[in-house]
Amino acid sequence: MPDMASLAHPQQRAFNPYTENGGTILAIAGADFSVIAGDTRQSEGYSIQTRYAPKVFRLTDRAVLAVNGFAADGNMFVKKVKQRLEWYRHAHAKDMPLRAIARLIQTMLYARRFFPYYVYNILGGIEEDGTGAVYSFDPVGSYEREACRAAGAAQSLVQPFLDNQIYFKNQVPAPGTSHPAHLPLPTVLSIVIDSFTSATERHIEVGDGLEIYIVLAKGRTLHGTESIGGMQELTTTDDGERVFVVRRDLKKD
Amino acid sequence: MNSILQRYSGSSAGGRLSKSVVEDDSDFSDAMWGSEAGFGTLAKGVPGFVVPSVPDPAAFLRLHTDDHADPSCRIKIQHGTTTLAFRFQGGVIVAVDSRATAGSYVASGTVKKVIEINPYLLGTMAGGAADCQYWETYLGMHCRLHELRNRERISVSAASKYLSNLVYSYKGMGLSMGTMICGWDKTGPAVFYVDSDGTRLKGDLFSVGSGSTFAYGVLDQGYRWDLTDEEAQELGRRSIYAAGHRDAFSGNSCNLYHVKEDGWKFIGNYDITKLHYEGPGNVAGSPGHGYGYDLRVEGRSSANPPEVAAQA
Amino acid sequence: MFLTRSEYDRGVNTFSPEGRLFQVEYAIEAIKLGSTTVGIRTPEGVVLAVEKRVQSPLLESSSIEKIMEIDTHLGCAMSGLTADARTMIDHARVTAQNHAFTYDEKIKVESVTQAVCDLALRFGESVHDEEAMMSRPFGVALLIAGVDELGPQLYHTDPSGTFMRYDAKAIGSGSEAAQSELQDKWHKQMTLLEAQKLTLRVLKQVMEEKLDHHNVQLAQVTPQKGFEILDEVQLKEIIDAM
Repeated sequence: MPDMASLAHPQQRAFNPYTENGGTILAIAGADFSVIAGDTRQSEGYSIQTRYAPKVFRLTDRAVLAVNGFAADGNMFVKKVKQRLEWYRHAHAKDMPLRAIARLIQTMLYARRFFPYYVYNILGGIEEDGTGAVYSFDPVGSYEREACRAAGAAQSLVQPFLDNQIYFKNQVPAPGTSHPAHLPLPTVLSIVIDSFTSATERHIEVGDGLEIYIVLAKGRTLHGTESIGGMQELTTTDDGERVFVVRRDLKKD
Repeated sequence: MNSILQRYSGSSAGGRLSKSVVEDDSDFSDAMWGSEAGFGTLAKGVPGFVVPSVPDPAAFLRLHTDDHADPSCRIKIQHGTTTLAFRFQGGVIVAVDSRATAGSYVASGTVKKVIEINPYLLGTMAGGAADCQYWETYLGMHCRLHELRNRERISVSAASKYLSNLVYSYKGMGLSMGTMICGWDKTGPAVFYVDSDGTRLKGDLFSVGSGSTFAYGVLDQGYRWDLTDEEAQELGRRSIYAAGHRDAFSGNSCNLYHVKEDGWKFIGNYDITKLHYEGPGNVAGSPGHGYGYDLRVEGRSSANPPEVAAQA
Repeated sequence: MFLTRSEYDRGVNTFSPEGRLFQVEYAIEAIKLGSTTVGIRTPEGVVLAVEKRVQSPLLESSSIEKIMEIDTHLGCAMSGLTADARTMIDHARVTAQNHAFTYDEKIKVESVTQAVCDLALRFGESVHDEEAMMSRPFGVALLIAGVDELGPQLYHTDPSGTFMRYDAKAIGSGSEAAQSELQDKWHKQMTLLEAQKLTLRVLKQVMEEKLDHHNVQLAQVTPQKGFEILDEVQLKEIIDAM
């Protein structure tokens, strides 16, 4: 005998394995460095779940991955990327180069084409030729190398700012001068910090903490960034690329 | 059990679909052990695809990713495009825009929609960016294997058919791509249109994407077989400009390629706003002025009336 | 109760009481029947040379293919049952292309060699639930030459799945004489041309026929041009210079 109540009110169910956890990430490539940053707030709807959930991860001494979207998918994805990097190291006796990691991430995301990871990835680091690079991905693996990219909740707030400050969009150089092709590290760091303080002001899902990862090409130093305190080195090998992290506070309301 | 799942988890021609996510690490094939050095089994190509264990995986995917059906859906796959390619006496011209949109947000203005499959084959990108990028790169790998095994380059026809069969094996699963495979082989210049429905057409002239109607308008007007190289390149630029100008989902810049007997050549990247006001600059075939009609109405339209009238 | 030797001969995956796998050892013997193949590594690149045994004047010598391309930066020369080598080289090609697809970089010479050796050990085994694909060891040895970020390299693989890196290596019927000749003549700062001439001189010594551009094949892998099989004109020049 069927339950009359349920017949009276037909119910539809859908498999909904996704949620959106807010937050924003961004990365900017310089001539011989790369900066990858993200806030640390994790929220669901209007509730803040935690004020410290990292979204930026060191993969190797020359690659850092920022992941935004659904936190559970993101964390699992980073875990699997790290596993693949480890396997590669055992198989080929070297760390995976940045562009190889970028392609690997494409194939890993695309392997879930029919059940996507709900994640927006930004990969930053140093290429084999010593240049700073940023790769951005869509959830199913389309990717592109760029000079800068913002993703996540405040993407539409931050990206236009970066377009103006990094690509000099809608700026006309003074007569007889031209826009620089690459900005120096201290300038980039202050752009990153300004991006996040502004996004925190205007977006409810951004705030609490800021983690900025800096990857330096072989031989280059942090010179000029002394004003930014609390720089912590995460490098594991000598005489290669170096990775640093800076942790800062963002407003907590 | 559902029929689609069973159909695709079997021996489909293209890749392999893992039956469900609960399988232990089913998305890691042995080939992923990096060239299998020391550990692996035989390389099979595409890794297995993970499919959600629901009755209708295609509907699941549509629910979460299709932004036409539901603008509020979570996973926005990049869409929107104008691409064109045509055959003429001097080879093949391939021209595309560079805008990627996710909903109404311009996700990128610097997308490479021409995929360089190998030095003599180009593919264009319309529809899902990842679908095109991934499968055309995959096609490139198979073209190279064909070349090694048969000691001769693959024909454009064979390459396009390979891609067509591949995407057909995923029909109904939600792939979205409309591409033109362009190149030069023993038969001369060739263009094939291939899409994710399984259509494969040989032709002289195609345009694909949301801005294709605008591009066709210009293209059909100016197309001739005996176009010179310069005229043909200008026609490609001018057509993409028209689409970028009238289609909100297209724009930013135009990438132009020319395929000749000895392979393709990148001709240039042109800012569409610049094309409007200043034209393509000092390049072969340039009209020497902007494409916009402002020039042609100077002093005669209501927006900028004749000076005498303005003074009065 | 021990089986007799002839019985240990039969199973490909049964050790004899002395700890030997006879079928693998016999496979290694099969290579000694093959034509002589020589490889030399120099700082400028790697040279591969093979003797083509033209058994009949009616045989089209250009159809004998004993040096093959694996990828633009990788080449391979073989000795033994050359039909077996085709399976291995196709595997190497697929592996190299798969690597390029997944990592957008050229595969390392050692990695592709490792992949070939993985395949060499797959006899008598079934892959997952598929049918066993090979019932016996491969009867072929390969010289894999390539250039990667570690520079020009030469590897030798045998039917047991063992691989080793060499500065110069000879395999096939004349390998013993050829190897001692290589040991005498090879030096660290060899030029590519010297290596080309040396491979031919070594082949000349062990070949029964008079060496000419029909019965040898020469290939090289260089950092600049990658893998290339030298055509008859180039080959003639080197033979004349020898």
